[in-house]
Formats: sequence, structure tokens, C-alpha cells
Amino acid sequence: MNIIRVEGLKYKYPHTDKLALDDLTFDIKKGEFIGIVGKNTAGKSTLCYALTGLVPHFFKGAYGGQVYVDDLEILKSDISDISLKAGLVFENPFSQMTGSKYTVAEEIAFGLENMGVDREEMITRINESLLLLDIEHIKDKNPFSLSGGQMQRLAIASVIAMRPDVLILDEPTSQLDPQGTEEVFKVVEKLTKEGITIIMAEHKIEKIAQYSDRVMLLHNGRLIDFDTPQKVFSREDILDFGVSPPIFTKICRVLNIRDANTDLYPVTLEQVPKKELTLSKETISKRR
Amino acid sequence: MNLIRVQDLSFSYGDNQMILQGLNLEFTEQTTAIIGQNGAGKTTFVKLLKGLLTPSSGDIFINNINTKELIAAKLAKYIGLVFQNPNDQIFKSKVIDEVMFGPLNIGYSEKESKEYAIEALELVGLSGEVDRNPYDLSLSQRKMITVASVLAMQTNIIIFDEPTMGQDYEGKEKLKEIMRRLHHNGKLVISILHDMDFVAEVFERTIVFNRGRVLMDGDTRSVFSKVEMLKGAYLDQPFVTQVGKQLGFAETFLNVDELVEYAVSREIHN
Amino acid sequence: MQSMTLYVEKNSLIHKIDPISKLLFVVISIAISYIVPTISVVLGSVVISILLLIIGKVFRHILPIIGVSLILILSIIIVQGLFHPESKTPLFTLGGIVFYKEGISYALLLTLRVINMLCAFGVLILTTKPDELIETLIKKGMSPKLGYIFLSVLQIVPQMRATMGKITDAQRSRGMETQGNVWIRMKALFPLIGPVVLNSLNDTRERAIALEIRGFNAKGVKTFYNPSRNYPYRIAIKFGLILVLILAIVWRVWK
Repeated sequence: MNIIRVEGLKYKYPHTDKLALDDLTFDIKKGEFIGIVGKNTAGKSTLCYALTGLVPHFFKGAYGGQVYVDDLEILKSDISDISLKAGLVFENPFSQMTGSKYTVAEEIAFGLENMGVDREEMITRINESLLLLDIEHIKDKNPFSLSGGQMQRLAIASVIAMRPDVLILDEPTSQLDPQGTEEVFKVVEKLTKEGITIIMAEHKIEKIAQYSDRVMLLHNGRLIDFDTPQKVFSREDILDFGVSPPIFTKICRVLNIRDANTDLYPVTLEQVPKKELTLSKETISKRR
Repeated sequence: MNLIRVQDLSFSYGDNQMILQGLNLEFTEQTTAIIGQNGAGKTTFVKLLKGLLTPSSGDIFINNINTKELIAAKLAKYIGLVFQNPNDQIFKSKVIDEVMFGPLNIGYSEKESKEYAIEALELVGLSGEVDRNPYDLSLSQRKMITVASVLAMQTNIIIFDEPTMGQDYEGKEKLKEIMRRLHHNGKLVISILHDMDFVAEVFERTIVFNRGRVLMDGDTRSVFSKVEMLKGAYLDQPFVTQVGKQLGFAETFLNVDELVEYAVSREIHN
Repeated sequence: MQSMTLYVEKNSLIHKIDPISKLLFVVISIAISYIVPTISVVLGSVVISILLLIIGKVFRHILPIIGVSLILILSIIIVQGLFHPESKTPLFTLGGIVFYKEGISYALLLTLRVINMLCAFGVLILTTKPDELIETLIKKGMSPKLGYIFLSVLQIVPQMRATMGKITDAQRSRGMETQGNVWIRMKALFPLIGPVVLNSLNDTRERAIALEIRGFNAKGVKTFYNPSRNYPYRIAIKFGLILVLILAIVWRVWK
């Protein structure tokens, strides 16, 4: 069942000449984990905005094509209605705090207050979110006193409390240290097991390869490829799009080590065979 | 030649928590990476080197000058620091003016400053944008402007604070090239980093910070071979090192070429 | 990173009073100091505020605030004491300059009004949590957006201070001097203004996006997470305050 349908999406920011999104068409099934890769300026963030209605309702600009999230057509719906279907978390944890709430629990409540959810239901959902994001022990702390990783998890919790079907994350670990990054990916994995559809734009290629069901490759606003991680990262021309494949893939390509099941190059550590290598004569002669 | 000497350095912001405790370090011309989780004291350490903070106890010598004797603005002649966020820094409306700000401040003439600025912009690949408004350029390009701003000051020590944050593949490759070129030109390059593969590829020496102390300090290869100690500092080995292990090799590899060469030459000898 | 509010956490009777009553107190207290412009009445109002501050265990927190306005008070005394239009009766001389009774008298009134205003506001600000005040106002019908703006400004100021710190570090790092005479310090402001403003604008825009996607502009009635607090004697206090105001107006008209 398709939770997201995009048909011929085109978009240009106000006062610019170039199309930020150029004729995108694709579907995403419920429960999938989608990774979006591409160089800076490829259109990853813009696509994230387009799936939540920020494009075009917040950013204005020239818009064409159709985007459906569940049964809502983005162009014809309010951002607040869309937010119940698709939530967005972005790079800077700090600027996602409302600034008007004094505790973590109140911060999560903000979205629910805006949507007029009744108090008992609010409390249930807040507790759910606190547990899911593993921030129950800090629920009375001031949001601005948290670490980067904790603040980002709070941002996710605040969005999840609105029970969207889809969670979109735009480079959520960019500003976090390795531990914070690990926390966010663990949480997202948990959410995916709960059935939430995840769409994540990221530069951390090895992580994307590890978690994604399918990977979308964008370049200059166009959709270049949308397939399994192995298929996308095994492409010969991937560097032309400013994307470096996972290190595992780079090594395996040179040594001609393939995944026995798919005959494509491994993209995660687990897919790299644990045994002693036997390299073909061809590989050796290529190197000499 | 000791460019930087740190003796018994301790630092805290005033309340009881010690951010750094009894550090003793020396830096020569080796490219050096500083790694560790957030809160371990890396940024504080680097600010102390720059004279932006004063040690609570102990001393830091930059080119044999004690940092306690010069204000940060004067130390800027000897040691440069590239900050994380270009938006925290850029305020001129022309790229060339922004890059000339530093050298002019530390006493170079208008002519010299312009010369150094143009040279620096060349190194970072922005020679074509000299007269443009920095805010008309992309975030990546603005990042390069901040790098050029520090290079133009002709310091012989340059520190980068998490330069790879938010960078895509091309941005990172450019940074690698810049750092290698600087090292080739005799500068001491120090960088705080979270990208272990970047560290493994570029840096000769790696220092691991953990809870305000130095946990490990040595050549990059030996540091990355100690899996358990790294885990203790919440760090992983570079991916390329992990692959080497997975394939059954005992060696600690620092880049793809090394691993491939090794695998191929082993095959030939069998 | 704590927020920048003047609220002092204590367990007193005044803390338990409903914020709207306290707001009403401030308004009426200031109004009376104008409606009945005699020194004794205004002094009385000041005394009442001070008593409330003492009961609220926050009296010593108002002193620095009054201290800051001492300069203003002093200038009032000097200006009025010397130059009040109805100056006839000399009161005393100081270093050859004559101060007149009428002027000093008027100055005293103005000074008491200032202190009265500060103390009354003190009763409100020092004993009321900002979010409680705003939430109560929203429940009474104030626009939630206005309330949000007010509260976020309070929380954002400490963050701006931190950003200022980062920006100053970056510019000092490039040789900009910040210590020295006034001229050096003024020159040091220019490289700071641009980045501070731009950072705030960027931050504001990102925050606006975050709010939008959490339903900030949703139409319909909003609900509240924090339970309605029960304030003792809410109605009695408000009634009493309004009564005082009416009495004052009556006195004025009757005069």
C-alpha cells in the first residue's frame, strides 16, 4: 500500500531561475525505510519540505505536479493537517525547540495542544513518546539544558506524539557527535519496527546503506535512481553525482568481491564475506 | 622543533567541574587529529591554545611564547583556528574584504593582506568569487571562505574545528587536499574530527580525549588498532579498518588503497 | 542554559495568588498613584507593595532593580528641585544652588510613583512563572501567538548571549581586539552585528518552520497540558481591588 505518491513534482523557490525539484515521480510503500542521498544542493531538503507541505505553503514559489501523503493532496491541504500524516525533523536540534516551554514533557505537548487533543489523550501520548525515545528520565528538565543528542530525540518525540504515518528526517545527525548519531539511528530503527515509514536524507552513507530498504539518488533536483542500496551504490557512475559509495563497496569493487545472493557489491560490513579472500587473476592483473 | 608545548594544563569554568585535567602535550610538524565524544574537552582545549580562554593552572607555549602573556588578538599571528559555522563569522559584503580582515588586524599592510588573501582564495578554489557577496554563495563555499580567512593570516599553526560537519563527498575531498597542501608547505595542521575514515586518511598522529584527559596519543595506525580503548571513549574504528578485520587480516588499515594493495600482494605470494 | 526570567521560586502566599489578580493589582496600583496624586496615598501604595514583597519572600530581589533606577530618581529630584515652574519657597541650598520646596515636593511625588510602579511590577514578576501568566491570559482569550512570542523571547535571550560568545571568539581569533578604550570597543561591535542579526534571523526562520509543522497555525480550539490551577480567593481579591479603584475615582471626582 502506497503511503506517498509523487507525480511530476516540479518546484522553484521564489526569486530563483533554477528548478529545485525537476519532474520527480515515485511511490513509497507504508513501513519502508527510505534513504535520500545526493550532494549538497541536489534537492534533498527541498524534497523533505515538499512532502510536508512547507513547499509550497510556507516557502511559496512556483509549484507543479502532485504529491499525496496517504489520502491528502499536499497542494490542497493545510500544513497543520499534513503534520498529522507526515512529521519533519531537521538538522539543528536547537531551532526545533519552541522556546516557550520549560520542561521536556511540556515541549512534547505543544503540538498536541495546537491540535486540540484532550488532556487525557495528551498524557498517554506524551508518555508513549518519552518511552519510545528513551527520554523518560529527563522529562522534567529544561529543553535547553539537554545535550545535542537528547535535544534531537526530544525533537523527534515532539513530532511522533502527533502520530504521523511518516517521519521525515533531514540530516538529523549532522551536528551530533558519534554517540548522538548512534542514539538517533537506534531510535529510528525502533520506530521503523513500530510500522512508521521513515524517509531520511543523510551524508553518512554507511549508515544509510545499513538501514534503508531503498535509496533515492538525487542530482540537480532530478531523480537519478531509486532502488535497493546495493543496486544504487554498485552503480559505476555514482561518483559523477557527488556521492561516494560506502567504504565497504569501494573496497569490494576493486577486489571484485560480490554478495553471493545478489551478485552486486556489498554495502554493509555484514555483507562483506568473513572468509579468506581468493582473488581472481583478473583482479590481480588489473592492479599490477 | 616544538611549535606547541602544553604543561600540566587544567581548566574549569569556575564551578567544581574540571573540563581538562593535568594535560601534558607537545606538537611538532606532524598532522594531528583530536578525537573524542562531545564534552570530552576538545573544543575547550583548542580555545585555550588560541588564547580565547586562560588556563586555570599550567601553561601553554606557542612558538615558545606563554599564552598568558599575549591576548588572543595578538596570538592570532602565530596560530589560526577555523570555526565550525561560517555564519558566526562572515560580516563583510565582499569575499576579498572578508578574507583580508584577519591579516589587516594582525598588522600586515593593505598590499600584503590583499596578496595573502588572493593566494588563500586560490588554495580553497574560490579565485573566481573574489568580488561577490559571501551570502550569495552556498554554505559549502562560505565554509571555504572561513578557511581562506585563516590561511591568509600566514600563521604556521592552523587548527580546524570539525571541518567535515555537514559536508558532502566533494567538500570533504577538497578539505583533504587543502590540509595536505598546508602540511606540504610546512604548516602544522591540527583538527578536531568525528569522521574516523577522514582521520585515518589524512593524519599522522591522533590524540584521543576522554573526560578531560588524554586517553591515547600516538601514530594514527596504533591508536586505531586498539579497539577496546576506543570503545571506552565511545569511538569506533574507521570503516576501512573494520573491513580489514572482517576479511581476516591482522593489520590495521588506514585507507582503501592500503587494504587493496595488501590483499593483492598476499594473493600473489600464495 | 537557563531561561532569563526574574521569577524567584518560593513557597509563599503571594506565589499562590492567581496571576490575573496580580496583574490587576499592578494596573490599579499605578492608576491610583495618578488618580489620587498626594504623597501620602502613593506612599501608602508603595508600603502595601513592599509588604506584599516581604510576604512573598522576594523583597531583597527588588532592591537591585530600584538601585538601577536610582540614577533616574536622582535626575528627577535635581531637575524638579531646581526648575519647577511654581518654585517660590527656597528649601535649602547646596553649594550655591537653591532648591525650592515646591519642586522638591513634586520630585518626591514623582519618585514615589516610580518606586510604586517598580514595586507593583515586582509583586507580579518576581512571584509569577511567566508561562503560567501567559497561559492564564490565553485561557482568558489572548491570542496564543502573542503569548508564544513573549515567552520565546525570554528563552532565546540566553541563547543569543551564547551565540554572541561564539561570534566574539571567531572575530577575536582573527585579531580583532575587544579590550581597551571605548573607541576600540566600539570598533569591535561592527564585526559582531552582522553575524548576530543574521544568526537570529536564520534561527527565527527555522523555528517558524518547526512551529508550523507542529500545528501552530491550526484552526480550532486549543487545549492545555497543564491542569487549571486553583487559586484561593480569586474573586474576593479582584473584587477588593476594583472596589479600591472605584473609591479612588469617587474621591477624585468629589474633589
